[in-house]
Amino acid sequence: MTKLKHSLFVALLALGVMSCEDILTDVKPATALTGDAVVNSAAGVEALRASMYSKIRANFGYTTLYLLGPSALADETRNRPGQSRFDDLNTNSSTDGRTSSLTEWGGTYSIMLDANLLINSIPDGVVPAATKDRYRGEALAIRAFVMHHLVRTLGYEPTQTAARGFDKGIVLRTTPTIVAADADNRPRATVAETYTQIRADLAEAKTLLAGVTATNTNNVYANLNFVQALEARVELYAGNWLAASTAAQAAITGSGRSLANTSAAVTNMFARASAVETIFRITPNANTEQIGGSNVNNGPAAYTSDQWVAQIPTQKVLSLYEAGDHRLGWYIPCFNRAGNAAAAGCPTVNTGGLALAKYYGRNTNLSDDLHYMRLGELYLIWAEAAAKAANDPNAGSAPLTTLRTARGASAIPAGALTDMTAFENFILEERMRELIGEGHRFYDLKRLGRDIVNVDNSVKIRADSYRMLGFIPVGVITLPGSLITQNPGY
Amino acid sequence: MDGRYTINIRSNTAVLIFTSVGFKTQTISTGDRTVVDVAMVSDVSVLDELVVSGYGVTPKRELTGSISSVKASEIGDVPLQNAESFLQGRAAGVNITTNSGNPGGAFRVQVRGVGSINAASEPLYIVDGVQISFSNLSGQTSMSPLNQINPNDIESIEVLKDAASAAIYGAQGAAGVVIITTKRGRQGDTQITAKVERGVRESSLDVNYINTDQYLEYLAEGYVYFAGGTLDAARANRKAALLASYGSPNGDGELANTNWADYIFGTGLSTNYTISASGGDAKTRFLMSAGYENTEGHILDDQFQRISVRANIDHQANSRLSQSLSINLAKTFQFGICQDGTFINCPTAQAFLEPSFTFPYKPDGTYNNLTRFGTSGHPLVTANEVDRNTDYYNILLSSRTNYTVNDWMILTGTLSTDMRFLKDERFDNRIANPTRGGFLNIVNREVQNYQASLVASTTHNIGGKNNISTISGVEYRRDFSESVLVTADGFPGTFFGVLNAAATPTSAGGTFTEYRFGSYFTNIKYNYAEKYFLALVARVDGSSRFGADKAWGLFPSISGAWRISEENFFPVDAFDELKLRAGYGTSGNSNIGNFASIGLYSVAGSYNNATGLAPAQLANPLLSWESANELNIGLDYSLFEGRISGSIDAYSKENENLLFSRPLPSDSGFGSITENIGSVKNEGLEFEVQTVNLNRGGLVWRSRFNVGFTRNEITKLPNDNTIGPQSNFNKLEVGKPIGIIQVAKWAGVNPADGRPMWYDINGNITYTPTVNDLREYKDGVADAVGGFGNSISWKGLSVDAFLQFSFGQWAFPSSEYYFSRVANQQTAMTDIVLDRWQQPGDITYYPRAYLTTTHVNTADYRTQLGTHSIFNASYIRLKNITVSYDVPTRLVERVGLKGVRFYSTAINLITWTAWPYYDPEVAANATDIYSNVTAASYPTARQINGGIEIRF
Repeated sequence: MTKLKHSLFVALLALGVMSCEDILTDVKPATALTGDAVVNSAAGVEALRASMYSKIRANFGYTTLYLLGPSALADETRNRPGQSRFDDLNTNSSTDGRTSSLTEWGGTYSIMLDANLLINSIPDGVVPAATKDRYRGEALAIRAFVMHHLVRTLGYEPTQTAARGFDKGIVLRTTPTIVAADADNRPRATVAETYTQIRADLAEAKTLLAGVTATNTNNVYANLNFVQALEARVELYAGNWLAASTAAQAAITGSGRSLANTSAAVTNMFARASAVETIFRITPNANTEQIGGSNVNNGPAAYTSDQWVAQIPTQKVLSLYEAGDHRLGWYIPCFNRAGNAAAAGCPTVNTGGLALAKYYGRNTNLSDDLHYMRLGELYLIWAEAAAKAANDPNAGSAPLTTLRTARGASAIPAGALTDMTAFENFILEERMRELIGEGHRFYDLKRLGRDIVNVDNSVKIRADSYRMLGFIPVGVITLPGSLITQNPGY
Repeated sequence: MDGRYTINIRSNTAVLIFTSVGFKTQTISTGDRTVVDVAMVSDVSVLDELVVSGYGVTPKRELTGSISSVKASEIGDVPLQNAESFLQGRAAGVNITTNSGNPGGAFRVQVRGVGSINAASEPLYIVDGVQISFSNLSGQTSMSPLNQINPNDIESIEVLKDAASAAIYGAQGAAGVVIITTKRGRQGDTQITAKVERGVRESSLDVNYINTDQYLEYLAEGYVYFAGGTLDAARANRKAALLASYGSPNGDGELANTNWADYIFGTGLSTNYTISASGGDAKTRFLMSAGYENTEGHILDDQFQRISVRANIDHQANSRLSQSLSINLAKTFQFGICQDGTFINCPTAQAFLEPSFTFPYKPDGTYNNLTRFGTSGHPLVTANEVDRNTDYYNILLSSRTNYTVNDWMILTGTLSTDMRFLKDERFDNRIANPTRGGFLNIVNREVQNYQASLVASTTHNIGGKNNISTISGVEYRRDFSESVLVTADGFPGTFFGVLNAAATPTSAGGTFTEYRFGSYFTNIKYNYAEKYFLALVARVDGSSRFGADKAWGLFPSISGAWRISEENFFPVDAFDELKLRAGYGTSGNSNIGNFASIGLYSVAGSYNNATGLAPAQLANPLLSWESANELNIGLDYSLFEGRISGSIDAYSKENENLLFSRPLPSDSGFGSITENIGSVKNEGLEFEVQTVNLNRGGLVWRSRFNVGFTRNEITKLPNDNTIGPQSNFNKLEVGKPIGIIQVAKWAGVNPADGRPMWYDINGNITYTPTVNDLREYKDGVADAVGGFGNSISWKGLSVDAFLQFSFGQWAFPSSEYYFSRVANQQTAMTDIVLDRWQQPGDITYYPRAYLTTTHVNTADYRTQLGTHSIFNASYIRLKNITVSYDVPTRLVERVGLKGVRFYSTAINLITWTAWPYYDPEVAANATDIYSNVTAASYPTARQINGGIEIRF
């Protein structure tokens, strides 16, 4: 009996030592938190939201490449002699072309991971309900934004999938990856399914962001008017003209903003303090929040107006402006301020030797606010969509005139209103005048089924070429168990 | 020595038992005798030795697993700094390689092969029950935490090799367990031992570099090849070019002829003092020791210093309660130099980075900046203007309380700690780093490593022949480490290396990390009549490192032994002992990273001035330890009354669940996840033999030999895809050993034009091999490792010689190869270039001299690796030889002493090897698994000591 007692005593003592699991698991890493700690604290949720935007800011594919790549791959900019940045896009080098370099696969899904966590994983009560709604709305908007960007580089627009015989879009991930089992292999959804998901996200975001209009405080985050504007852009790509027109007007009206209509206001609309037209922008701290990893190496100012002065506006674009157009204020003589040296060779690209100064290190340290959505684009969407909805150029002339008047341009030439083709041509020209270096030209040609052309209008990528789509990184396809199919031709 | 005794006994049926350590126990019935004289008989049977196993000691005869035991007495007076070095060559199957020859440098210890790929670790080291932490060691010099223990204090070192033995240490046991036991006091008169030792330390191997004339000749030939013309004209041209770049030391238009190795390698002095006192009475026994060692390395001002104090006290409070304390306080200081690599400021590389035609000082006595690597890479600037001080303070403490519950159970509670404070300080003054105006970098590192355990030991005897004993317990361990670093730039003059003297603090940082273990374990041993043995071990380990769904791991083992020699039917009288052992068990490697299993969000970027926290690591609740399943079969034998004894072991060990990062679909937002995927298998055979060859007339000659053969094979990889299929040295392929080398096959030098040639994959000569021409050629696995020792003693004089060997390892000496064989880097060249092709028809190993370009239409001989770049790293070393003389007691006693001994000892006196550079021991670091590349590592030194030991 004593033996038993002693044994029991020892056993109890032993269990006592270990009964408290905490003594094993109460261990914390120094500079990292567990997922639970993040989504269950207000500070953690704020930090997750900051991460989502920070990833856009820090990702070259969502900053300089996003903004300048479509111009360089098409006909809006060319490299200054001796500069190599985006030279490959200018020349569309390599057998497969360079459309693929616009594809930001990994970065997109990294941003989506943060968005998915904000959308799905924050328990009630961690932050006030209104804040949670807003952050979820922002995350849905950002998810829609990056999904749309990825699908436009990898897939055809919904109006073209049938004709091109290829309808694959992107992989849809609408829930966060929390454990390894969540990281399952998934096939690509169709373009139609992708657009359906984008529309659903935008619709939900619209509800959650009700009242959050694009004031200069709010427009550094996704907001209601950005959602409406993005809807307009998405429906424009999808060829849903009426929806695009309606959404564009809703965004314009709802934002309470109006077009810059003086030379000074137009010239300065990309500066942080005078961004009067901006619906959504990324506003990096010039010192601590480097664009694309490094302002001086990768920032859009370093590419266009300073440092490398690498991508110069083509004469083709500059020739499109009338004298007196306020938008000529966006161009300055080529000069490398960072090196305090002349940037030679610009006149070989445009006769005036001009550089595009939408990005000009206005926040110092070669940093600029990055404007992803502004009124100029919305008026152009409205004009194009309204005309196409009515199949009548005149239906789009009012918003186009409003824009051109504000920009100090003359009335729409009569020839542009004779038929829809002429009108579409004119809209495309106006989009070049207005949106150069803001991430549009290549996609504008692509969504309209047009060839990508060179400065001399020779064909660079035929509309029916497989090279119109980028390809999915090889490692994604060869991953064991991958269900992802490559784009045709690659 | 005579022992006199008187004892009062009442009955003539009394039995006297005579015991003494090292002698056979004798049991004598007194009968009617009044005088019982007993001559103690030396106990030569090693099977009666006590071997320290997990949480206890076991007579060797009862062992069922595979444990190598090395007693301090076998090692003798070897001047080494730490316990790992003692083991080198002495335990079969334990492959120990220096990764730095600096005094106090670390060793890579592999017990039974490479068992991990991405989580390689050291064995678990336990000193008097304290599990030693390897966290947060110096960042600037190679060191071992075991430096803190004075080798003179060590009694024995045991290596638990197989899983059956190591399973009791569960998730920390897969890389083997090394148990170090220090000496303790014995009942008797206090014995004081003082020991003084002095010695010198120098390079054990030399490399011959060519002189300036030979170098010029080479360059001239290269120039003729490049530009044509006569050899004389070319020589003049090259000389002018070198003078233009590097100048003339005397301004007389002649180039320098410097042997830089003379400035880098030198002689270090070693001094060692130890004093210890031990003794005690029936209640209290003690050992106290204090030691001081100061050993200078043989490179620059490298230095190792240790001051240590130890107290081991055992006190029996009453019949039930006893208390033991082991405490070691130590401070070591290392003046480190940078090592391992081709860094231009690392002295070991500087020996060949600086050619003979550069020179150290300008005529005005200032440093010559026109050396090959300028002032910052100047060996003497490194030597004189750079300080790399590492101070290491350590408390090693173990407090043990034994409570005898009853006649069959003892409870033991242990609290132990291994606390460390370490300071790395580096000061480069303005001369060493003019651009920063000098800089000072201080890193304070702290480790708090605590353990607590409670163990119940029981013994039962049932019916006389059934013996059951158990050891069961719980244990808890925390290992917390923290570091703080500061850097400051801009120091006035070269004097002050303190932060307050700095113009600008440039950076500050700090971090911490921690892991914890909680464990239950039990070891049940049963034997029948000391003939049949069975042992069951189970340990359950939980750790903060493991995934939530794998929080607890079970590590079981079963082993048994059969003492065949005890059987009546066993017919061979020659055998004193023949025991067959077999065991199978599982142990774990928990070196998987402290936070690898949990989902982590890391500070990453910021937006609009709010710091971001981004998902950085996917949770893997299934992440677990790597496990080692091992089958061991062994035989222990002793013949002819112990004249020949030893053991044979064969094992097969499969390490499973090895960590690999598995790529994930990137659309999940993550690139990969660390999972338990791979397997690797090690098989081996180990022999240990001790013999007493001669024991006559006071002359005793003993030999000991051990060898371990290892075979390593990768058995599973993620998707079984070969990793690094075109890697020269890091290819991992199923069915192949870790460390396989693949290079193009060397085809010699074309006798017609002196160009180097290789074979392509089809066996045709090529001058420009590609990755497609790689062939597997040798590997870094040392197939046979062991040692062979002899000791002869006669009347107080004894000689002990120990050889250590390693065969089968091949390796690429990267820095040496790239920088000491050709002229196009203008670094020193070894005399291998003297055997070069000079004219058509020459059949040579080394091609035609060439300059900065390659041979015509030929791959660069410097960088194109081939079978000619891979060298055999096999060696045999006269690891130590000791001669000692015990002055006869009668002389000693006259001056009131108990003993005086003089000795002289040498380590690494001779090395036989085909390795062409400084040291054939190849291990890049303490956890190197490939063992096939070395880079200017700090070579092993030779040291010769003389000493005197006085006992009083």
